[in-house]
Amino acid sequence: MTARLYAALSAARHCAPGCTEKDEVWRSGKVRLYRYRPLSPAPGAVPLLIVYALVNRPYMMDLEPDRSLIRGLLSRGLDVYLIDWGYPDGADRFTTLEDYLEDQLAGCIDEILKVRGLDALNLLGVCQGGVFSLCFAALHPERVRNLITMVTPVDFHTSADLLSKWARKIDVDAWVGQANVSGDVLNQLFLALMPFRLSQQKYVDLLRGEADPARIENFMRVERWIYDSPDQAGAAFREFVVWFYQQNRFVRGGLAIGGRSVDLRTLELPILNLIGTRDHLVPPASSAALRGLTRSSDFTTLELDLGHIGMYVSARAQRQVPPAIADWLGER
Amino acid sequence: MAADAWRQWAAFAALFNPPPDRSPLGAFQQAPPFAPFFDAEQFTAAARAFHQSGESSQGAAAAFANFLREQFGSVLDGMLGGSAPGGSPAAAEEAPALGPAREQQERLQRAAAAWRRLDQAQRRLRRLWSDALAEAARDFVSRLGAPAAPPTAETLHGLYDAWIDCAEEAYARMAHGEAFGLALADALKEASDWREESAAAIEPWAKWLDWPTRREINSLSLRLRALEKQLRETKRKRAARARPAAKKRTTAAKKMRGGGKR
Repeated sequence: MTARLYAALSAARHCAPGCTEKDEVWRSGKVRLYRYRPLSPAPGAVPLLIVYALVNRPYMMDLEPDRSLIRGLLSRGLDVYLIDWGYPDGADRFTTLEDYLEDQLAGCIDEILKVRGLDALNLLGVCQGGVFSLCFAALHPERVRNLITMVTPVDFHTSADLLSKWARKIDVDAWVGQANVSGDVLNQLFLALMPFRLSQQKYVDLLRGEADPARIENFMRVERWIYDSPDQAGAAFREFVVWFYQQNRFVRGGLAIGGRSVDLRTLELPILNLIGTRDHLVPPASSAALRGLTRSSDFTTLELDLGHIGMYVSARAQRQVPPAIADWLGER
Repeated sequence: MAADAWRQWAAFAALFNPPPDRSPLGAFQQAPPFAPFFDAEQFTAAARAFHQSGESSQGAAAAFANFLREQFGSVLDGMLGGSAPGGSPAAAEEAPALGPAREQQERLQRAAAAWRRLDQAQRRLRRLWSDALAEAARDFVSRLGAPAAPPTAETLHGLYDAWIDCAEEAYARMAHGEAFGLALADALKEASDWREESAAAIEPWAKWLDWPTRREINSLSLRLRALEKQLRETKRKRAARARPAAKKRTTAAKKMRGGGKR
């Protein structure tokens, strides 16, 4: 058994994540905009742009053929674009949230709208990408038709939010200085939320069950994703921690990007809010707070019995999330 | 059977932790060992001792729990990314700095003081971690039922899972508390201070070698950034000016085409 498991892990060590064909359609600096090749003959007229978080790589949305939310969306006729923020290096340390939102995200959206001859598109923001999507929709309501937020923190001061409790005590200026923030250090903080399960038990659990190649390949792909953590541009990281984690500006107000106010109360567009009820990184209550903060009269909350990562890769997510998104968009 | 399962575990763990490479290049080529594996042989022995202790097994349960507590004590070190660097500081912190080298001596003193504070902060975290494990051990003892002999592989896995549950629960109670949050914040701040002071102490050497320093590169980056921003603004303004003119041209062309049709 031991030898078989080791051999299976070894065989799976080069398993590349990402399985769906896509084309780079635009780039600016380290940012790449991809369009996935449609799987249906007539993809939707309004494209869906996926905005992922800065702290992890976006291929978790397209891990392998039977665990790919993107494939699920494409097979339901959606036209899917994805932003890849890239890996910031020392030259990006002064990049701010304004740069990410008003140059990079706005640049991607402008490009899609220009090429497709549209005024607005659909946005799917995931985790921190959901925060960016909310900000962008508030800043440029005319360019977003429908908004989907997935495992997105909104109220950063809920009682179950351990990361926020820690972040509120941290001297961010001292931590960041003028440098970037190491992705490895952030990863250790995420693991420290449940250190025994995430850094011990999951490896012991490997020995349970058969050394089934499919299971082991999936394990290795997720393992690779977990530790593939880009460094964070220092200035943007500092703003994110102070404005959201420490000052909770979505809820308390006072958020401004590039000198322009960002007020969720101005949002009137249709919103679908996907929440993982077992999410240990973004507590459900944090995401659920969005409903009370917008003026959208077309607001749908969908709670799924999933964790933060399960929302992308679990078998249940593959069955539930793409149809929920496609049906919701189809009705609009 | 049960022992076999955990012996397999030990063999599996050993595959990931080969003996150290003693060649001259070994220190550079060797990746840090993969750490999550505890001593499976000892775990099996401790679990067996507990199982063989019979009905009145409080002492055996406590010994088993303490064994687990010790095994998991080093998990935090992996998360801290190692301890504060050892070795004695180059300059005593309190020594008066005099003469031509006084600036550099003071920089080294500040770096040494930052190292000492980092070490203290990490000690505070370790103490809290140890407290949580002690609490987990107490919970574990209270959850252990009467041992079923002989233990099977499933029983041993069950004991392991029960321990993990106790450890996570005790850790969560501590991690949500004020003391742990402050200790973690302190450790991060002291690590940042130490890095900054160390960089400041090393920077004169870079200058001496005529290498670019981080401060110089930052200064260049900021200048470049200001230029890029200016360029983007200019482009935006030009695009904004071009838009009404283009719109006017399109409208005029449409009118002309419309007029032709009429």
